[in-house]
Amino acid sequence: MIEARGLTKRYGSKTAVDGISFTVQPGKVTGFLGPNGAGKSTTMRMIVGLDRPTAGDVTVNGRPFAEHKAPLHEVGALLDAKAVHTGRSAANHLAAMAATHGIGKARVREVIEMTGLGTVAGKRVGGFSLGMGQRLGIASALLGDPRTLILDEPVNGLDPEGVLWVRNLVRFLASEGRTVFLSSHLMSEMALTADHIIVIGRGRIIADAPVQDIVARATGTTVRVRTPHATQLAELLRAADVTISTSEPGLLEITGSTAVTIGETAAAAQLVLHELTPVAASLEDAYMSLTADSVEYHSTSTGLPTPALAASGVTPEEN
Amino acid sequence: MSTTTLTAGAPATATVGHATRPGVTFGRLVVAEWIKFRSLRSTWWTLALAVVGMVGISLIFAIGVRASAITAEEENSMLGVLVIVFGYSAAQLALAVLGALTITGEYSTGMIRSTFTAAPRRLPALWAKLLVLTVVTVVVSVVGLVLSYLLTLPLLSGTGVSLDLGDSETVRALAGVPLYLTAVTLLAFTIGAIMRHSAGAITTTLGVMLVVPMVFNILGVFFTWAPRVGAYMPTTAGEQIMSFGGLAGSGMVSDVSLSPWMGISLLGAYVVALLALAAVLMRRRDA
Repeated sequence: MIEARGLTKRYGSKTAVDGISFTVQPGKVTGFLGPNGAGKSTTMRMIVGLDRPTAGDVTVNGRPFAEHKAPLHEVGALLDAKAVHTGRSAANHLAAMAATHGIGKARVREVIEMTGLGTVAGKRVGGFSLGMGQRLGIASALLGDPRTLILDEPVNGLDPEGVLWVRNLVRFLASEGRTVFLSSHLMSEMALTADHIIVIGRGRIIADAPVQDIVARATGTTVRVRTPHATQLAELLRAADVTISTSEPGLLEITGSTAVTIGETAAAAQLVLHELTPVAASLEDAYMSLTADSVEYHSTSTGLPTPALAASGVTPEEN
Repeated sequence: MSTTTLTAGAPATATVGHATRPGVTFGRLVVAEWIKFRSLRSTWWTLALAVVGMVGISLIFAIGVRASAITAEEENSMLGVLVIVFGYSAAQLALAVLGALTITGEYSTGMIRSTFTAAPRRLPALWAKLLVLTVVTVVVSVVGLVLSYLLTLPLLSGTGVSLDLGDSETVRALAGVPLYLTAVTLLAFTIGAIMRHSAGAITTTLGVMLVVPMVFNILGVFFTWAPRVGAYMPTTAGEQIMSFGGLAGSGMVSDVSLSPWMGISLLGAYVVALLALAAVLMRRRDA
């Protein structure tokens, strides 16, 4: 369980994280989604005490991270695949990390095997590929058999097989009742992995809800209607929060209403429907529209609220 | 590469590790720092260079003494000590680099974030690192000193140049070598902890060791106050612990020089003051 209250980080005049509050629940995979520079990594660094919050606080399993007697058993963190001395072998890195908590050699061997590093464990980390480094980072995170896992962009640099492996691993860990907090800027990956999503943009929480709610709420579900009486039906459905668009004769795309309402309205007016399909927006669409909104709120320019603009809110401290 | 290992390996995560908990202790941090220290090639390169430099200088000195005809009694005992002690001048360069790299290497590679995640209170990790570095430096400088003595012994036999291990001044000068080298290594370490940058920390340390005394030597030619102030500079003060027969390090002992114990204590005080600053900064700064 991770609880943040009013968590804020400023670098000079630049606000990276702007008073965010959220809770990451055990037993499920919580995705932390946002464009590069939105404040994901800064937030995660504050959770494990690497960065000091300018204001607010965050606890892990009920306490500030630094107050735990056995921090590696509480939290396993992959914050940066390069948080390893390049001159040291993977096995020695893990052995040193294990030694801080008196974790035995058997567990070190176990995480090496589990992450598929067996053949390269004796090699110096400096020669590792991005994917290998990522696996070593995950091995370090798992070392203490922690109750909470914090993984910053864990699938970065992994091949498709590795991506699948991480997805299965985090789902398995959450199913054991652990807290899993996973960041990504890859929306499609989140859709497959996470149960719950916290969307961050420009240092603020834009959304915090189960995956399906995020998808539904952000764009509103669109209903596709095919009818020979398109004009009449559109007239009947017209209301303040209902948007109707048409791309070809006899086809309506309706948002702001539901299939039930549309079907009943059509039946009452005795209009024939050839198709009535609720179209769920993809998480990707939801994310684009969410972050586009955050740009609209912040920007005074007359520029279009395009996804490209939303993704350009990059702060320099990331990278 | 390992989608299949999930089913085999992952269930174990729920059961392994619980038996060994109480977590982080200072002793465990020392063990961890020792594993980190010995598992880097740069450690062994710099330590080897320190010993080779120390013994090498002594051997060159001893060969020179053997080649020349020295007879005067006083000079003989002075040279006897100097032959063994003077190797410090080479060893200090290698050890300063080691001292700085021990901490800056973690910052430049990002390892420090792993270190602080495992030991989020930070300072115990700093003290553990300091302890490992101190013990290793003492051991290596004593080894270098003993090797210098044993290897120069056959060269010096018959020259009249000898070492009187019963003389307290001689013993103080010899014991001063590990003391001084350890202090200088820790000075480099604290500068590294403050600067967090390898090249910057090494350059600064070498500047303090080599350039600062030179500046005061130059100023001393023109200004009478310069030697008095220069005597208080870190390495000039520290070198007094190895002084013997009017020579201290690369300079002469003058009437403004600090006494041996006063000098090494002042160098120690510089280290302690910088260490306090390093500790405050380490707790306060983002990693």
